[in-house]
Amino acid sequence: MSRLEAKKPSLFISDPLTKDTVSQSLSLLNRILKSCYGPAGRLKQLHNGVGGYVCITSQSSAILGRLSVSHPVLKVLTASVQNHIARFSDCGLFTAILCCSLIENFKSLHVPSCTVIKISKHLLSLCTDYLKSEACGCRVSVDFSNLKTLLCLARSILTSKPACMLNATEVDHLAMLIVKAFMFTIPCHVETKAVLGKCVTVPVKGRRVLDSTVLPGLLIETPEIQFAKLLSVKRISSDTIKIALFCVSMSGDLFNPEEGTITVHHRISLEMSELNQLLNVGKQLVNDEVGLVVCQKVIHPSLKQYLKENQVMAVDRAGLSVMEPLSQMTGSKPIASIHSFSPSCYGSLKDVCTKSFGSKHFVHLIPNDTVVCSLVLCNRNETAWDELKCACETAEHVLQLTIKEPLALLGGGCTESHLASYVRYKTCSLSTSSFKDVDCSQTQYQLIADAFCRSLESVACSLSHDDEILTDMVYGHCWLVPSGFPSVSNWSDLLSKCGCGINSNTQNLNWRLLQPHFGSPTIQSCPKEPSVDAADLLTLDCFAAKYSGLQVAVETANLILDLSCIIEDQN
Amino acid sequence: SASSLAAAAVAGAVRGALGPRGGRALVLRPDGRPLLTRDGRRLLEALCLQPPTARLMAAAACRHRGATGDGAKTFVLLLAAVLRGLRAAGGAGRALPDFERRVLEPAAALGLRRHLLSAFPGEEAEPRVDLAALEALLDAYLRGRVGPGERRRLARLCREYLGRCAARRPPALRLLGRHFEALHAAVPGLPLDGSAVLPGVVLRRDFAAYSPASGAAGAVVVTEPLHAGPSAPGVELVVGSEGQYEAARRWCEARTEAAVKRLRSSNVGLLLSSVKQQDVVIYYAKLYGVSVVECLSAEEVALVREITGVSPYSPFGDNGCSEITDTAAVTFCRPLLLGSKRYAHIGFASSACAFQPHCLVLCGPVDGVNEQHAAAIQGAFTMLQQLFKTVDGREECRSKGESQSDALDVCSRHSSATQKQLTVENICCNSNQVSEHQLKTHRGETDTQIVDSALKGSENPAGIQTASQIPSNPASHSEELNVPCRGAGSSTDAQKPHAKCEHSGEMHKGYESDLPVDNQKNYGTAVLTTDNANTVTVCERLDVGKDLEKASCGIIPFKHEEGCVSVAQNYSSSIIEAGSVLPVGGYFEILLHYYIQYYAKQLQQSAVTVISSVVADALLIIPKSLHGTTEGNSFAKFYLKTTNALRKNQPLPVNEKGLESVYCKYQLVISVLHCVTELLSIDLIIGVKRPLQKIEDNDSDDDL
Repeated sequence: MSRLEAKKPSLFISDPLTKDTVSQSLSLLNRILKSCYGPAGRLKQLHNGVGGYVCITSQSSAILGRLSVSHPVLKVLTASVQNHIARFSDCGLFTAILCCSLIENFKSLHVPSCTVIKISKHLLSLCTDYLKSEACGCRVSVDFSNLKTLLCLARSILTSKPACMLNATEVDHLAMLIVKAFMFTIPCHVETKAVLGKCVTVPVKGRRVLDSTVLPGLLIETPEIQFAKLLSVKRISSDTIKIALFCVSMSGDLFNPEEGTITVHHRISLEMSELNQLLNVGKQLVNDEVGLVVCQKVIHPSLKQYLKENQVMAVDRAGLSVMEPLSQMTGSKPIASIHSFSPSCYGSLKDVCTKSFGSKHFVHLIPNDTVVCSLVLCNRNETAWDELKCACETAEHVLQLTIKEPLALLGGGCTESHLASYVRYKTCSLSTSSFKDVDCSQTQYQLIADAFCRSLESVACSLSHDDEILTDMVYGHCWLVPSGFPSVSNWSDLLSKCGCGINSNTQNLNWRLLQPHFGSPTIQSCPKEPSVDAADLLTLDCFAAKYSGLQVAVETANLILDLSCIIEDQN
Repeated sequence: SASSLAAAAVAGAVRGALGPRGGRALVLRPDGRPLLTRDGRRLLEALCLQPPTARLMAAAACRHRGATGDGAKTFVLLLAAVLRGLRAAGGAGRALPDFERRVLEPAAALGLRRHLLSAFPGEEAEPRVDLAALEALLDAYLRGRVGPGERRRLARLCREYLGRCAARRPPALRLLGRHFEALHAAVPGLPLDGSAVLPGVVLRRDFAAYSPASGAAGAVVVTEPLHAGPSAPGVELVVGSEGQYEAARRWCEARTEAAVKRLRSSNVGLLLSSVKQQDVVIYYAKLYGVSVVECLSAEEVALVREITGVSPYSPFGDNGCSEITDTAAVTFCRPLLLGSKRYAHIGFASSACAFQPHCLVLCGPVDGVNEQHAAAIQGAFTMLQQLFKTVDGREECRSKGESQSDALDVCSRHSSATQKQLTVENICCNSNQVSEHQLKTHRGETDTQIVDSALKGSENPAGIQTASQIPSNPASHSEELNVPCRGAGSSTDAQKPHAKCEHSGEMHKGYESDLPVDNQKNYGTAVLTTDNANTVTVCERLDVGKDLEKASCGIIPFKHEEGCVSVAQNYSSSIIEAGSVLPVGGYFEILLHYYIQYYAKQLQQSAVTVISSVVADALLIIPKSLHGTTEGNSFAKFYLKTTNALRKNQPLPVNEKGLESVYCKYQLVISVLHCVTELLSIDLIIGVKRPLQKIEDNDSDDDL
């Protein structure tokens, strides 16, 4: 009998955005995220009241994943940013800050949300068209024959995560490792559709960052291998070892939950027969001159012993995660049957050796074709290691995104301020027909365009937490005034390079303060594209991630502005 | 008055989401997941209303929305307005059925008709939606369902999707509506611009085994594991010796290997499984180059079966040697990376009803938005199906005596108002031709219950009938043989065939060519129409066409959709023809408002006149709330402009590109009036403790 319970009526809240609670929690979230942004971002310590694991971080993925947001509107916002991070890994804070600022700025205008949405959609298309066009002044194309831009990309990501606790040499070392690991994963023989390989991160905690390294092939942790000092593996030739990969349990257990009852007559041992079968498998492997057997699950000790006696190395409990890269790397097919298998399933390896890092022992499988590599990542303590791992994975992902679309955006706030000045310039010279298109007056359009630009600039402003930020009127780039100097009239004495490092202070660029709270002068000319002179230490951002983040931020802000009511199911 | 208050409260809740300027609602589901929606049905469901009358209203609104794909919010608003009006007028609800027959139907059939546009421009036998009209319809529909920034992009996407699927006719639209769940994939975290239409079907699973060579081979669907061990649950295996057990296991694996080998030798490259296959099967599949997708959902399996026409393959069903013939042709099969998930992307060669399977990939920042978009597009498919329907049946449920006297009333009024020129001989002759023809076509069919229609025919006292109604009897009798192919709705139609003298000859030809092909399909559609509850009625309006330029009354002995539409361009007896559309933005309501007043003036009966003014005024609530949110008096301007044009007989001043289906709109008004009738006839609400048992109504199913 089913039990019927009366459903409680839902809670209906109309016009949620006009409520104080929303604006308060929104601005709190915005302040938290802004303070995390950039290389000088402040760290956040996340822990619960009853102790346990403490997380020190400034990354959006870590913060948003652990923060429990109660308000439904903020839930939508954080879900949206988290989805963006899941797709692109990078630019999560950018998306979140921009989205919060857009909502706050648009909300204060008191223009009907329908009009705001239409206009901001139009402004967004201005930005995206510009970023996609050849004339775009804030993007650089990435040349894969020159590693410099790739290193810049990796370095920018590492430096923007202060919780990794890295110094300049360590950043350089890791950036080099990341690019090297990325290079390993690119297949040498490209067919019609190239598939990138995999970089497996191996954790080694409590060691110096400079001990980190990249190795081609896979490392499988095996605690017992330390006893076998000398590795004697049967080889077919000096650089070929046959490998067999099993995904079925070789433990000799009979237990299978799916099957029915088995009645066994007295004095018949099925375990015995199972073990015999395993030993038959061992014989076949030896006969087929297999040198290495890797099993996803457990291998029976007798079989292991037998294989060892015949100079066949056996590695068990490899786990599901290594199966795919292992099969990709060796060309072997995981065998799922211990009754019959054909020699066509075997793969080959170049070499096998043992490696030790700290207290951990590994078998190192070296393939012929290195599409799989292992990044041995060291850091001093647990929390810093977690942060570093996240940063390295982000960098790896960004490089993968960049190979799809070989472009990068200028970092250090320059893209944001440049885009803002471009939009300001464009909206000054807009024809009346485009106002008709979006069904609004020119004043409304100007108001919203200004709020849009201020939101973009406020992202750039969050890069500095105490210092003043300037923008120039020629390139529209972002300049950071070093702290400790009083406000002076002649800024050119203090400034050396812009945020991304592409422009240096060679001429008077007509600076002004970048303050998102005041209206800014109309811009008469389109911001120029700087002449790129292979500057070494550029700060670069991932194009795909920022491009999508910009769109997601505007779309999410529109989504939230469009809310007319909230219905909370109380059941 | 309680119901009036409840309706007003519900209307207040949904008003914010109405129309192009409406906002969306954020619904927090019991499990905490946010859902964004502007769909009236979802809103009403999410509100978990408690007052019984409010629940009744919400249920009626949802029922209407489910049937037509549109209008739950409008339903509630209109219902609230009518109830309020009736309360103010002091309750004249009993005259509602009379109003419907005497004022509403003439207003729609005679007044509204001349303003209607058609979405089927071609003179094809099987109408399909015009591309331009499709875009206008989708645009208008989505305007009320998604945010202002997303509407245009989604409408374009949806039009492209329908175009590439070749789904502009009801069968394909129905298939889309049924299987859209499996025909779209949502990717959260990307901007809407990333959305795309992909050829083929995207299954929400990665390949368990993939071999690139399996592209151009066939596919089979399995619903059971290919591998079975020596013992199974509920089966006891007695082992006599070690060798025996080993041999049994070996045999089982060999059997699995043979099954996979057999697939390969029958040129099967792809195994689609609804269950998880064991590792052994995957291993052998990899070895023999067969790709495997497992753990498919029931919807996906149903979709694949429907578009390919294959039935599940049972591996151990036959002797295991013959070649597998029931395979689906696959054009390509490859893994697809959407967002961070891998899916199986499979192209099936086109098949049933010329439907080209395509997959719609929807991108949005959050899942809630993707859900909203998917639901909106699925609703659009339902809405487009309504375009092919006509409002033409008479309702069966009325008591006969009443309807007869009404018919007398109405007919005499009409025959006096319009001078009919049809001669009895002519019609008789024509109907005889019709009946002969029908007998020829349908001789093979077995007859079922049409006693009903025959009875009704004989019940009509001849004296009451107008001249042109008399010849209808032979035709209706001759249709007895025809009925089985048209379903339950035919008994209504049989009563009132019309004759159009000049064109009847041509029409017969039309039927000759149409019928044998379309029988099956028509049957399906007819069933669907009657299924959708509120079949609206047309009474015997011989003068329906009179107000049109051509003074003709249509002969539609076959009232099924396709047949009807092919002739509907010239002559029709339906209130609203298939494919009728109007510009969006309150034109329908203002037109109906105007014509209800116009036709109500001709009546003396006070109760009906009162109701007429109540409904006419209530209708204005829709354009009012559509225009209300912007600058002050835009509604008044719009109203004056439109009614002035109507008075002067000028074309409507339209600056809207969007279109809406008149069928849905008219159906909405009828449903609201029925709901009002229902609400007003309840005098006591009794709370019970035990859950109410639902009484199975077998007859409704059997009738079809």
